[in-house]
Amino acid sequence: MSSVTLENISKSFGDFNAVSGVDLRVSEGEFVTLLGPSGCGKTTTLRMVAGLEQNTGGRISIGSDVVSDAARGLFVPSERRQLGMVFQSYAIWPHLTVFENVAYPLRVRRRPSAEIGERVSKALLLVEMEGFAQRPAPALSGGQQQRVAIARALVSEPKVLLLDEPLSNLDAKLRLQMGEEFRAIQKRLGMTTIYVTHDQSEAMALSDRVVVMERGKIQQIGAPEEIYRFPTKRTVAAFFGTPNLLDAEVEGCERLDGRRVRLDVVGKGWRGSCEAADEARPGEVVTVMVRPEDTRIVMADSGAGEQELKWSGHIAHTTYRGAIRSVVVQTENGRLTVDAAASCNYAIGDNVNVVAHRRAAWAIRKDEALI
Amino acid sequence: MPVRASTWRRSRPPILRGPAIAVIALVVILGFLSVYPLSMLLYGSLHSTPPGMAGTFNLDGYQEVMTRQNLITLLNTVGISLAKTIPSVVIAVVLAWILARTDTPFRGTLEVLITLPFFIPPILTAMAWGMLGNPQVGLLNQLFQWATGSSSAPINVYSYGGVVWHMMQYSVPFLFLLIVDAFRAMDPSLEEAARMCGAARWRTFRTITLQLMLPALTGAAILSFIRGIENFESPLFFGSPAGIRVITTDIYDSINQRSPPQYQYATAASFVIMVLLFLIVLLQWKLLRGRSFTTVTGKGYSPGVIKLGKWRWATFAFCVSFFFLTVVLPIGQLFIGSFFKFFGFYQWDMLTLDHYRAVFGSSEFWRGLGNTMYLGLAGASLTMVLGGVVAYVSVRTKWRGRLLIDAMAWLPWMMPGIVLGVGFLWGFALLPHAIPIYGTIWALLLAYISLGTPLSVRVMSSSYAQLSYDLEECSRVHGANWLQTMWRVVIALAWPSFAIGWVLIFFGIMRELSASVLLYSVGSEVLSVVLLKLWANGNAEQVSVIGLIMMALVLIFRWVQLKIMKSQLGTLRA
Repeated sequence: MSSVTLENISKSFGDFNAVSGVDLRVSEGEFVTLLGPSGCGKTTTLRMVAGLEQNTGGRISIGSDVVSDAARGLFVPSERRQLGMVFQSYAIWPHLTVFENVAYPLRVRRRPSAEIGERVSKALLLVEMEGFAQRPAPALSGGQQQRVAIARALVSEPKVLLLDEPLSNLDAKLRLQMGEEFRAIQKRLGMTTIYVTHDQSEAMALSDRVVVMERGKIQQIGAPEEIYRFPTKRTVAAFFGTPNLLDAEVEGCERLDGRRVRLDVVGKGWRGSCEAADEARPGEVVTVMVRPEDTRIVMADSGAGEQELKWSGHIAHTTYRGAIRSVVVQTENGRLTVDAAASCNYAIGDNVNVVAHRRAAWAIRKDEALI
Repeated sequence: MPVRASTWRRSRPPILRGPAIAVIALVVILGFLSVYPLSMLLYGSLHSTPPGMAGTFNLDGYQEVMTRQNLITLLNTVGISLAKTIPSVVIAVVLAWILARTDTPFRGTLEVLITLPFFIPPILTAMAWGMLGNPQVGLLNQLFQWATGSSSAPINVYSYGGVVWHMMQYSVPFLFLLIVDAFRAMDPSLEEAARMCGAARWRTFRTITLQLMLPALTGAAILSFIRGIENFESPLFFGSPAGIRVITTDIYDSINQRSPPQYQYATAASFVIMVLLFLIVLLQWKLLRGRSFTTVTGKGYSPGVIKLGKWRWATFAFCVSFFFLTVVLPIGQLFIGSFFKFFGFYQWDMLTLDHYRAVFGSSEFWRGLGNTMYLGLAGASLTMVLGGVVAYVSVRTKWRGRLLIDAMAWLPWMMPGIVLGVGFLWGFALLPHAIPIYGTIWALLLAYISLGTPLSVRVMSSSYAQLSYDLEECSRVHGANWLQTMWRVVIALAWPSFAIGWVLIFFGIMRELSASVLLYSVGSEVLSVVLLKLWANGNAEQVSVIGLIMMALVLIFRWVQLKIMKSQLGTLRA
């Protein structure tokens, strides 16, 4: 187990900067997810840690060993970094049996065969594949190949485990199950893990910390809840779910504690207060994020509580989604999406009010909103 | 442990230096195998005397090439190649459709049978057809006369028709092999959509199936056309006796049949044909640019199989008769010919085993067999190793210089065997005396490697292309260095293709005649040269015996190849 430190890492392919100025420290035993849309540089970052790409700038260390330093021209090849990796395609070698696939990292390190037998069975037991050792690898289902790939990545007790979208080729149900199994194994072994995905719910469910990336840069690093509830940038806010984002002007500002301030804001046809990370001057324009699940619909004539925000409007349309009903309300400040109980029914055109608690409204500075 | 970091720094230079050394080594090897003979060709065509003698530089060679007689030769060459390509394409399309898209019985077996002619050395069938279709004593004419009672002989293979017919026996299976997968892999929903729009079956075939196949068909047809121009055996056996000249036999005659040999003329003509072929290849690229060869997405479609009813026995009979004409008849002729005292006189009292005794007692036969086997084994192995390395560099790495290597390895593909033979003839003769390749078996080995390299590169490239990069990278991350990865993953996964390519190259070497006949010398004759000499001496009976032995070799190797292909499919699709 080792920590991983990325210092000002960048990677350019010709004129194109795939990754620029990434700083990240992953502690021992931590599960960190790199999250972002495709092409955001998350996989490139992972591959630089793996040594499959050479960073064109910055320094990478695993534990106390510097494995790549662009300034000094130092580059340790993949095979000497003592890592385990699960590929998106699993990369199960089709000419080998399950046992031989898992034994590979030990064989190339020339371990004695008694030790190989023992450690491979242990690894297969861990992923519950002990009964399949002698199967030829192509005769496995997707989920089974996945387990073999994990066993292979763990068998040599690597310093760090790297996972490149390992669940994206599985169907929804299996994805959930495998994700939980991952997390359980990772916690049991206390393995330092870097995980790459574009799926926000996967990132939320599995990680200690999430790193949101876009256009080769880190947008925000934090615990899943922190990222979800207190995004610092509009792009991060928009990446999770479909939040309502409303522009508003700051009227007053008051510090609540070390981490949060309360802002009094006024928007088109509404006013109230919300929370933010940083102080703002009166007159400054901010983006206020209100998540659909934090809002509710009330009768048009009913008022809002003192600690609540209120928007008046009429029902534009509704969509039944099983667990909930998505209701879109047309207000003076644009359309708001509200997650309502599935059993509620509204007629299009009904006048209603949308309300939300002020603690559920989170303001993002405008200058940061426009990356 | 920051101390270790500084010791690791040393690991980088070999990674940088390794590719440079490898690329330079490949450029030198490929340069000798392809660029060197080509430049010697140019040198020879401008030089007034044979290799190694003092002379002057002039354009006499090219002047001699530009004559009216040679215009006819050129028209003959192009005309014959066209005349064989067009019907071959039609027959190959029909065969491909029958075997890929209908419920004709025993399709698997039929496919093996009708592609067999492609693997038989053309010199064998040429000699067999020379006996079958001989206007005086040919078996077919004898049968015709016996059946009708007339005394006329309708079949004469020593004619335009004979040349074309002999070429077709190779180009049909060749084209079939190139296009059948396109037929097999086509997305059936494209055709079903046409049917749903109201098109009948024949109309669908015409407007959808054939149109979709067009890029693949054009590519294959041009390739077949090029092969027709490069063909040597058919015009040598059936054209030359009838006074029909084509470019390849013209080059051969000017060196082998004239005294003194006209080297300058031969090299100039070779260079001209190279340029011609280069233009055709350019045309092919232009025609096919941007048009995909595949109408498939790689998904495993099972194309709609058309139920033919009782017509399926007609299609079955069509395939069987093709096999009968191209394989059974010639082999049967060799078989019969080997047991009768004199070719052409088939009576019971003429039966004999003398020819077998003569062949097995002849040192020339054993030397030829030994040389062919030795060259086949060594040549196929070296060619595949070279092809494997070149393909790896050009497909799997991003090393600088890989495009140059790829182009150099492809160059011999444009050179007909006879042209490459002439180029090497000059090349070897001009080497310093310390490198005595000229007139040894090494000359043949190098020429075979050069001729086989484009094919070996292609086979190995497509094999590597199927291996995802992940398989290699995964091995590196899990602790294997580059060599271990190559050995345990890349080679372990690519060896079936290697074996299949090996057998193909071996076939190529066994059948090679045009370069061999220029580069052999006493002691280094290969079987095909031994056969040609015997044939030239009128010894058709011993030719039959040796031909049968070669056939047996072909069948064994083809069987092994099919076995490997089957097991490969088995492991990858299991």
